[in-house]
Amino acid sequence: MTEHKVDLPQGTLNLLILRTLALGPEHGWAISERIHQMSSGVLLVQQGSLYPALHRLERRGWIRARWGASENNRRAKYYELTKSGRRQLEAEKSDWMELAGAVAQVLETV
Amino acid sequence: MIADLWIRLRALFQRKTVENELDDELQFHFERQVEKLVRSGMTREEARRRVGLEFGGMDQVKEECREARGVRLLETFIRDARYGLRMLGKNRGFAAAAILVLGLGIGANTAIFSVVNAVLLRPLPYPGSSRLVRVWHVPPAKSFPGMKIFSVSPANYYDWAAQNHVFESMAIYNYARADLTGLAQPEMVQLARVSASLFSVLRTQPMLGHAFLPEADQAGHDNQVILSHGFWQSRLGGDPNVIGHQLTLNGKNYTVAGVMGPEFRMMSTPVQIWIPLGWTDKDRATRGVHNYMVIARLKPGVRVEQAQSEMNAISSRLAAAYPEDDAGWGALVVPLREDIVGDVQPALLVLLGAVAFVLLIACANVANLVLAKTLARRKEVAIRSALGAGRWQVLGQVLSETVLVALGGGALGLLLAQLSTSAIVTSLAKELPRATEIRVDGWVLAFTLGISLLTGILAGFLPAWRLTKTNVNEALKQGLGKTDADSGGNRTRSVLVVSEVALSLVLLVGAGLMIRSLWALRQVNPGFDFRGVVTMGIALPQTKYAKRDQQSEFFNKVLRRVRALPGVVAAGTIDALPLGGSGSTQPIAIEGRPVQALSEQPEVAVRLISPGYVEAMRIPVVWGRDFNDADAADTEQVILISESMAREFWPRENPVGRRLILSFVPGVERTIVGVVGDVKAAGLDARQTQATIYVPMNQDPWVWLTLVARTSTPPSSLVSPITAVIHEVDPDQPVMDVKTMDGIVSDSLFDQRFEMLLLASFAALAVLLAAAGIYSVMAYAVRRRVREISIRMALGAQANDVLGMIISDGLKPVLVGIGIGIAGALALGRLLQSLIYGVRSTDPVTFVTVSLLLVVVATLASIAPAFRATRVPPVEALREE
Repeated sequence: MTEHKVDLPQGTLNLLILRTLALGPEHGWAISERIHQMSSGVLLVQQGSLYPALHRLERRGWIRARWGASENNRRAKYYELTKSGRRQLEAEKSDWMELAGAVAQVLETV
Repeated sequence: MIADLWIRLRALFQRKTVENELDDELQFHFERQVEKLVRSGMTREEARRRVGLEFGGMDQVKEECREARGVRLLETFIRDARYGLRMLGKNRGFAAAAILVLGLGIGANTAIFSVVNAVLLRPLPYPGSSRLVRVWHVPPAKSFPGMKIFSVSPANYYDWAAQNHVFESMAIYNYARADLTGLAQPEMVQLARVSASLFSVLRTQPMLGHAFLPEADQAGHDNQVILSHGFWQSRLGGDPNVIGHQLTLNGKNYTVAGVMGPEFRMMSTPVQIWIPLGWTDKDRATRGVHNYMVIARLKPGVRVEQAQSEMNAISSRLAAAYPEDDAGWGALVVPLREDIVGDVQPALLVLLGAVAFVLLIACANVANLVLAKTLARRKEVAIRSALGAGRWQVLGQVLSETVLVALGGGALGLLLAQLSTSAIVTSLAKELPRATEIRVDGWVLAFTLGISLLTGILAGFLPAWRLTKTNVNEALKQGLGKTDADSGGNRTRSVLVVSEVALSLVLLVGAGLMIRSLWALRQVNPGFDFRGVVTMGIALPQTKYAKRDQQSEFFNKVLRRVRALPGVVAAGTIDALPLGGSGSTQPIAIEGRPVQALSEQPEVAVRLISPGYVEAMRIPVVWGRDFNDADAADTEQVILISESMAREFWPRENPVGRRLILSFVPGVERTIVGVVGDVKAAGLDARQTQATIYVPMNQDPWVWLTLVARTSTPPSSLVSPITAVIHEVDPDQPVMDVKTMDGIVSDSLFDQRFEMLLLASFAALAVLLAAAGIYSVMAYAVRRRVREISIRMALGAQANDVLGMIISDGLKPVLVGIGIGIAGALALGRLLQSLIYGVRSTDPVTFVTVSLLLVVVATLASIAPAFRATRVPPVEALREE
């Protein structure tokens, strides 16, 4: 399959990151890999957009960070979802669904 | 939100750690990506190269992360500030000059603001002071022309207190002075006679002991006193066992019941001892004699307007119930702070405005200096812009320097203001209400910080803005040191000169008007000759001089001996000196005229004088005669009246021989034996003089009189001889308030003199700064035109002609500034109108003089640089490429 280097709008990237972390704490590289996998290779998040987004999410208090040992015993910075982050995820998810549905509807209508 | 703050703080204070963490994180990502590619079959080097390409612009990523962290702005500030400090360090001359100039400007502003803050802005030092009001009597306009407020009588006070629903509590008091004995030194002390309720109205209790009990308001239960903190410290050594201590005031014994805390002030009078009212029933019933002041605390939720309407209603009721005493009398409710400081508000605000102008001029001067510097750095700025620095970043850089300089000036100014605070307080303490509360506090610090920042931004803004408009190409092309066809800089300089001149002109007009006003006041004829007269006050203790003839005998003895002294031309006594701020009034009934109720009768000033007073003060005797020794207690009761009173009541006839009665002393008919000239007793700037009656001391003796002596030698030289004479008659009798009449007249003009001195100083400072500004602008402009000048001279132009041309070119912005300044001064002059006397705020003489002065100053400031330019040999000038 082709690899889209799709430029995600920041809001959408936030949503994807929060969704990924809902499955459990991850470090930055793993988040980008996971999004790549879960989108069947369509979405490739470059580190240039990933890390600024992670820092912004951290500032908003939706995710928190801590340093830990990675799989190969290297030091890595892990991110996990906070309670308010979980609430934000639900809110953004339903907003996105609503938006996507509406857009699809418009495109279908003759 | 807390997370946000935490992250920002970490980013700010642990920059290195945070930066390293970011590096580690990105490095980790890099390594994992490389591993992924290696596992899919690539070689390590190939993988590293691929990932390196993908990663590209690491710094960009880092930058975005930093931005995401949200401390960019502050980091930029800090970086600019550091850079600014380095640049200033290289340019110490500029920094020193700018800091000094701004320091003086900001310091003056801080000093004036600390006064305005303490006097006008800060709430009074009592809890809940915004609820405190003063209640005045309003006298009927007919009997008291021109008087809007008057003191209160006891009976009316009690009725007010009983009938109102708007005040939570009320208090009544007045001031007095008394002889204190029973302590180490006998002396005269300042008293306040207060109702027991005063302490609850002001919500302040004594620090030691207790306040007066309610029964202290009655005679017989009033033998307690409360001391001020200062008095307790200085006269009793701060003795902690002072409660119960005995002392004697005017011969009466009192016990100390309490001591007030160090911060307590009695409105604006420095009181040393508080005594209770001690009123008899008769005192309480007095309705027609008004000698007291009343304050009250509004009930919660009651507005001043409501209180005013209720007091109006109560006054009408009282006027109807007691027409004799109260017909036509109203009441006025004024918030207490406004009552105390309202008079000085216009003057202080004018000073605040004036000193702000001086600061603006200082800003313009600094802006000028900055302009010269920034133009030299155009190349640097051009390079920065080419490398991507935004306009705001360049602006920020320049501003950081001026803000740093301004903050330095602010620190200097704060120091100067702090050092001068005690001098300010001492010089103003007697004249300015609340002067003792002046100090540099948190608000003053905040103000200083605020205007320092504002000054820095203002001073740097114009030059910085110009700089950002630099054409990159042009700037990079030109060599250093070459004079550039830079008309923009010229315009900015002209703007600075115009504004400096305009601001200076407004200040000069203000100062000029005050000077003329003071001069006009000095020319006013007060009705007496105040030169060569010495005065001193004598207060006889009533216990020692209980009988009236003892009192008059004392003064007569003293006067006989004083008149015999060499150097004394004439001597007399009076109970209240003109311009002394005190003096009583009484209603009168004129013989042969229809009988009127007390409250309808005309009210006149009454003064007690001895023979010789009129002569000593050189008051002209218009008709009839002065008092003499034949006017004794047992002969016909005689009086003198003032000229205006004669004109008012006996318009076209000689009033000598007419009789009238002073209504507070009913049944005693007094015959007019003379008419004397009017005396401006209330103040040199008073528009009307009140009708005045003079009663002979021998026919109505009193214990407290002021001795007045005209001397042929300097007045102060006779103080000791006169004091010695008084002690011959009574060795224990102290004298007080020794002053020359000249000094008293001067003191009465203190406010105007003070305001004038300050405004004149500010104006002088402004002119100096403006002259410096014009000088430097001229020097710069002339340097640019050196080639042109030399060519002209080489072609035969005379030095004088060239000089004239340069100067007239330089004067163009000055003239524009004068024009704008005149317009501004005409508009703002109206604010001064209430402060000046005898001259209009549009006075043409002042305006013309000031304008000419500025033209002369500007010309002088321009001559030196212009002259030097004409001296440069043409060969050198042309070589300067």
